[in-house]
Amino acid sequence: MNINRRSFLSFVIGSAAGTTLSPLPWKMQDDSAIWSQNWPWVPVPKDGEANYTHSTCTLCSGHCGITIRKIDDRAVKIEGMKGHPVNDGGICILGLSGLQLLYGPSRVKTPLRREGKRGEGKWKKISWDTAISEVAYRLVELRSKGQSHTLGFISGSEQGTITALSKRFMTAYGSRNFLQTPSMDDSYAMVLNLMQGVDAQAGFDFENTDFVLSFGSGIIEGWGSPVRMFRANSHWRTNGGKVVQIEPRLSNTAAKSDKWIPINPGTEADLAFGLAHVIIKQSLYDRDFIDNHSSGFDHWKKRVLDEYHPGKVAKTTGIDNSTIISLARDFARRSRPLAICGKGQGKTPGSSGEFMAVHALNALVGSINRKGGVWAVPRPGYIDWPEVKMDKTAAKGLQQRRVDGAGDKKYPKSGSLLNRFFKMIHSKEISPIQALLVSDANPRYTLPDSKTIKEVFDKIPFVASFSSFMDETAANSDLILPNHIYLERYEDVPGVTGLQKPIVSLSRPVVKPQFNTKHVGDVIIGLAKQLGKGTADAFAWENYENCLEKTMGKMWKTLIEAGFWTDPNFKKPKWDKILDFSSGKFAFLNNNTSIDYQYRPVKLEGEPTSFPLTLIPYDSMRLANGFIGDPPFVIKTVEDTVLKKKDSFVEINPKTARAFSLSEGSYAVLTTLKGSARVRIHLFDGIMPGIVAIPSGLGHTAYDKFLSGKGVNVNELIGSVEDPVSGLNAAWGIRAKLNKT
Amino acid sequence: MRDEKKYGMVIDLDKCTGCGACMVACMAENNVPFKEDESNKLDSITWMRVYKLTNEKPFPEADICYIPRPCMHCEADHGHSPCVSVCPATATDYSLRTGIVSQIYSRCIGCRYCMVACPYHARYFNWWDPVWPSDMEKYLSPNVSPRMRGVVEKCSFCFHRYQLAMDKAFLEKRRELKENEYQTACAQACPADAITFGDLNNPEHAVQQLVRPDRKNGGRTKHPRAFRLLERLGTNPKIYYLSSREWVRRAGDNYLKKENKTLSGRST
Amino acid sequence: MDNALIPKEVKRCPFSQFIILLGPVVGVLLLGVFAMSLVWLKGLNQTNMNDAYGFAAWIWADLTVIALGGGAFFTGFLRYIIGKDELKNIINYAVLIGVICYSSALLILGIDIGQPLRGWFIFWHANVHSMLTEVAFCLTVYLGVLIIEFVPLIMENRQIDRVPFFHHLGHRMHEIMAVFAATGAYLSFFHQGSLGGVAGVLFGRPFAFREGVFIWPWTFFLFTWSAAAVGPCFTMLITRITEKITQKKLVKENVIQLLAKISGWMLTTYIIAKIIDTWYWAAVTAPSKGFTLMDFYSNNPLYGIWILVVEIVIFGVVPAAILIIEKGRRHPILFITAVVLAVLGVCLNRWVMVLQVMAVPVLPFEGWPMYFPSWQEIATTMIPVTYGIVFISLAYRYLPIFPQEQELNPMGQMGPGEQEKPSILSDRKLRSAET
Ligand SMILES: Nc1nc2c(c(=O)[nH]1)N[C@H]1C(S)=C(S)[C@@H](COP(=O)(O)OP(=O)(O)OC[C@H]3O[C@@H](n4cnc5c(=O)[nH]c(N)nc54)[C@H](O)[C@@H]3O)O[C@H]1N2
Ligand SMILES: Nc1nc2c(c(=O)[nH]1)N[C@H]1C(S)=C(S)[C@@H](COP(=O)(O)OP(=O)(O)OC[C@H]3O[C@@H](n4cnc5c(=O)[nH]c(N)nc54)[C@H](O)[C@@H]3O)O[C@H]1N2
Ligand code: SF4
Ligand code: SF4
Ligand code: SF4
Ligand code: SF4
Ligand code: SF4
Ligand SMILES: [Mo]
Repeated sequence: MNINRRSFLSFVIGSAAGTTLSPLPWKMQDDSAIWSQNWPWVPVPKDGEANYTHSTCTLCSGHCGITIRKIDDRAVKIEGMKGHPVNDGGICILGLSGLQLLYGPSRVKTPLRREGKRGEGKWKKISWDTAISEVAYRLVELRSKGQSHTLGFISGSEQGTITALSKRFMTAYGSRNFLQTPSMDDSYAMVLNLMQGVDAQAGFDFENTDFVLSFGSGIIEGWGSPVRMFRANSHWRTNGGKVVQIEPRLSNTAAKSDKWIPINPGTEADLAFGLAHVIIKQSLYDRDFIDNHSSGFDHWKKRVLDEYHPGKVAKTTGIDNSTIISLARDFARRSRPLAICGKGQGKTPGSSGEFMAVHALNALVGSINRKGGVWAVPRPGYIDWPEVKMDKTAAKGLQQRRVDGAGDKKYPKSGSLLNRFFKMIHSKEISPIQALLVSDANPRYTLPDSKTIKEVFDKIPFVASFSSFMDETAANSDLILPNHIYLERYEDVPGVTGLQKPIVSLSRPVVKPQFNTKHVGDVIIGLAKQLGKGTADAFAWENYENCLEKTMGKMWKTLIEAGFWTDPNFKKPKWDKILDFSSGKFAFLNNNTSIDYQYRPVKLEGEPTSFPLTLIPYDSMRLANGFIGDPPFVIKTVEDTVLKKKDSFVEINPKTARAFSLSEGSYAVLTTLKGSARVRIHLFDGIMPGIVAIPSGLGHTAYDKFLSGKGVNVNELIGSVEDPVSGLNAAWGIRAKLNKT
Repeated sequence: MRDEKKYGMVIDLDKCTGCGACMVACMAENNVPFKEDESNKLDSITWMRVYKLTNEKPFPEADICYIPRPCMHCEADHGHSPCVSVCPATATDYSLRTGIVSQIYSRCIGCRYCMVACPYHARYFNWWDPVWPSDMEKYLSPNVSPRMRGVVEKCSFCFHRYQLAMDKAFLEKRRELKENEYQTACAQACPADAITFGDLNNPEHAVQQLVRPDRKNGGRTKHPRAFRLLERLGTNPKIYYLSSREWVRRAGDNYLKKENKTLSGRST
Repeated sequence: MDNALIPKEVKRCPFSQFIILLGPVVGVLLLGVFAMSLVWLKGLNQTNMNDAYGFAAWIWADLTVIALGGGAFFTGFLRYIIGKDELKNIINYAVLIGVICYSSALLILGIDIGQPLRGWFIFWHANVHSMLTEVAFCLTVYLGVLIIEFVPLIMENRQIDRVPFFHHLGHRMHEIMAVFAATGAYLSFFHQGSLGGVAGVLFGRPFAFREGVFIWPWTFFLFTWSAAAVGPCFTMLITRITEKITQKKLVKENVIQLLAKISGWMLTTYIIAKIIDTWYWAAVTAPSKGFTLMDFYSNNPLYGIWILVVEIVIFGVVPAAILIIEKGRRHPILFITAVVLAVLGVCLNRWVMVLQVMAVPVLPFEGWPMYFPSWQEIATTMIPVTYGIVFISLAYRYLPIFPQEQELNPMGQMGPGEQEKPSILSDRKLRSAET
């Protein structure tokens, strides 16, 4: 074959044109594009009818209104509910992630009975009937041995019908050992009790204050009702309200405040007294309030003037004399100043002395029960059930003292002392608690002095958890009876931490229960019915929903329609409602009780010689540290200077780092009397030299791979210190040392 | 041009708490995936990222500030955003109608040139297949398609919300949206109300009133508290920040020493 | 064994030896192919790239390989357009190296993109504003041209040439080669430039950004210029290496000297332009965006000002000086030093224009991200090298790449019969006779 120029060109052009015009390359290209856009392993969310449900978020005590966007029966997004008195459309990072909890891998999907050793992770799926009967069997057995008082119940929710049902169950069963997880709410309740004589919740009229003096409260770190506090803070930014933040570390709140005053941690009460000293000396206090509404002022004043000279306070607190004086003046001269305390998110109670000192400061400037001040908010009283008719066993059991000693001679004003509960069991050879029910709580993770807590759990022969999640406590129990989560169930949600108005909100089923779970209310009613006539009679409801609807009475309709109920007529409580002493006066010093609450600083565990540093936990909105573990979305937002791979970082001042030859990112062993942990170092100029700050909310061993095994749980390093007044834990830190590795 | 809108944001850093809710609101709204370990921030998809700045001063003068960073929806000259002009496959585009820089996942070939071009690190590559623990697929929104491995994604100003609002408006025989009809997920969620979203061209919208951008001058603002990130590059971002702190405002751009009277910030 | 394939009147090592020598190279190549398959199957998570390093080792290799392959277009340009006829003796090799470089470059692009199956979207949904579109178009078309330039050479293989069809095909193609060479040169000027434009247009990255004329930033011209200068150096370097390995002279010295001289002057003018560009950028462009020169070279563990000094002085001024001075380029050691430095210079320049562009923080509150490639990236990046070696070895063995080889290495005492069919034995004899 001979090719000439012509045939060559035709060959080239012809073959090119032939290939191009054939469908093959085009078809293949098109297919490749389509295929690469529709990989079968990338999910295609199903479309459907969009609809919305209003409910209440109970992931923290903020109790925001939420609106859930659904597509058919799938919940696809949680948003803040517009027009809700707490959050008006805003929502926090945790609330936004609720659907990851609902559909997440750490849900307990059916009742489980332990196989193998506790904590081994071997479970047998059982039916609900079996699960309830097994608990009932245990409880009947205890009762028949006359040991009903050895049943313990730890509850995370504080008020409402679930708590009431649980308490009622314990009463009908015959045990006083009902415990609630403590928080600053308990400390504030103690203060209101001792200084105002009322059983009420502290409310703060933040929306109307013009000067907030915060003793370490994480106003934007999740203190109180987080979204409400954020909104208040933004309000101050626009209306000129001032915030002064007192704490040793430049927290977000400190950075956002108008003035950050670093203080030697643990000396907050001294500062409060120092400020009081200046205010009294300069006659800046509210005469009307002192003269007409208070008692014991002269005695208190003498003590303050004698012992808290600013010069002296400057030494203990590390704050300049002149700063103390000008701060006192600023505070007292404002028209509506307000002082608050409860460190960080306020999840640990604190020293009663400190809380009282701060409360007294409010009283001094008249910020009690006035616009922009502290209000004593009456607890909602809609639960009005007939008295339990106790049988003999119950009556006998209830004569036994509480294991934690709450309400006894030493701590007459306390209702529940969870840390002491564990301490007491720990100190006894045979556990005074033979069976423990845990609901809405994860004490094995959230309580300080983890080692003790774990040992106590190991001592208790029977532990059942109602947790919806495979958390640390559930993972180490004998039986799990999983509750519906808040998006699958009805629940009344009374009160909002720190809110100055009474409110009741409703959680309602947004989607049908996703798994074989059961409402804890129904489980309790079911259990009660199996424990004999006396107990059963006290629970004459068909089921929880029926109980709830009946209990809410007239409120129910409003709750169903609006999602929340507020008292339209509520203004400020009357004086007689907030001052219940016979004198009708605010008590700077209280002669009615035998308690000498002269302030004594909380002594940290550990000797400075062997533990030269002070370890303090710090809170962050991006790390849920209680009730709920961080869902994947939230842990994703944690900065890489807080958590990197599996390592927690502690913050120290570059000066401290130099003293210990540590540098950014280096590894170190952090040791306290309670334990030690390998951590990494993050240098932070915003922290006082000598202090080590560790994030709380890490170091989970349970839940899922997105959370488990990441970082260090501060509770493994920190202990609890009994407050002499309340018996609650008052530890705010512990002495520590850092060794380079 | 009656139709020409320029959606943008004003973020008040005096109010922003650094809580991160905007980040999660965005992830939840836009089906953003997550992995077991997200602590390597260089391969962690966060359309909205909140940076932490420090003023680099020692204790006790140290200060911090958070700065949320969505896509800036840069306009540059006539929509020649840094990223849009470089994309070889026209998989990202500037809409002159809305001012929104789009991203078409099914068009993107994953060359990542746009990421190189974007000085704000607002673009993210899907290094991994997105995987949701099986039950979690239930919460995926049908309004935003999950992205396949190998493509770039970024903040869209929640464009699907614009589409839904426009659909509704058309049904009601309207051509204009009211300010509250189209709001982004992050602006809506922000518990501190730090984010304001709207049409920078519309004098009735809060964003316009807050910063009064100069349309003829690349959207510059004379507001004493306002600044934009890397304004000097000429990207004409549509995200405005407000801060009463001088060091924060300066931390938003680069300055020569002789211009630099106060310290600029660096992240920790 | 493969004697029938080997060109006439040249000697090649025995097939077994050929295989043994090439074996390890093929091994490394296969590892690269394995790594590449991993990347295609599992995705780019097999690399250490990340959102801050969207371009990394591969794109560096891509740009470098294309610059080094620039010998093809520039030699072609000199030969066919300018009329430097001596260069016909090296053009085959330049084209061969070009084919290797450009085919690797396209392969790398195919691996580097997250959605290889959609790679053709660049053409289908082309964005005319994008430098990358320009790169992709020119690269593809130019590779086509290079293949067309290379095909006639394949046709010259002894066995292929026997088929009349291929014989005539090769012949006809030769006739129109000047047209292709001209097209190739034209295309190359553009795509070398667009590669420079890739970095230069990034107005969000003050380290890379350059002003320019019309749509082209200065880097556009600098890249073309440097490729034209260094591409021939690379061709000469590879020629020298080939000569070293085969232990024979393959290209006459006057050809090399001519190319070296031209390269030297190209490099000289390039480096002057580069210095002016650097000065203007440091003094005017960067400051207008708030950066001083040292901002680009401090506060990080790797990228110091040394890079600029090394790139401009050691890898630029020094080789340029050697090559433009006759004594320098005639001195064998100085010559080889100069071409090596020049090649390193372009490697470093491309590294800087790809990697450092991304490492330099632009947001004032970000730091320098550092990066080290994963083994998969290294193995894949080795593909052009190993594949190049294999390709060159095969081509050298079976194709008459070097027109002057016979002349420079006459087959002396060989009988005609033996020349026809060189046997292992005769080859051994030959070598022992030589030594
Ligand atoms: N994101 C998020 N928000 C939440 C929750 C959550 O899990 N996640 N939980 C909610 C719940 S249940 C509650 S009760 C609230 C509590 O919310 P906060 O009051 O905000 O929380 P805590 O985490 O207890 O704060 C502990 C801080 O108190 C300090 N501290 C410890 N001891 C003392 C002391 O003796 N005195 C003083 N002044 N400070 C001390 C510690 O150093 C620590 O910084 O948060 C609610 N908000
Ligand atoms: N170190 C440390 N300790 C603390 C605190 C602290 O800040 N730091 N805070 C204290 C305070 S204020 C509190 S309130 C407590 C809280 O601490 P706990 O109540 O002990 O712990 P939580 O993690 O809140 O436990 C809530 C449990 O409820 C489960 N749960 C979540 N949603 C649901 C649901 O819908 N239904 C049911 N039945 N269970 C659900 C969770 O999985 C978890 O097991 O911790 C206290 N202890
Ligand atoms: S603040 Fe608390 S109640 Fe409100 S959304 Fe967040 S977790 Fe839920
Ligand atoms: S949600 Fe609002 S306050 Fe929180 S980080 Fe984002 S912008 Fe700031
Ligand atoms: S911020 Fe980045 S991704 Fe967004 S428009 Fe600007 S350059 Fe593009
Ligand atoms: S990665 Fe996708 S969007 Fe970005 S430039 Fe490449 S094709 Fe365009
Ligand atoms: S505008 Fe929408 S897409 Fe952009 S960051 Fe906010 S929520 Fe995410
Ligand atoms: Mo709590």
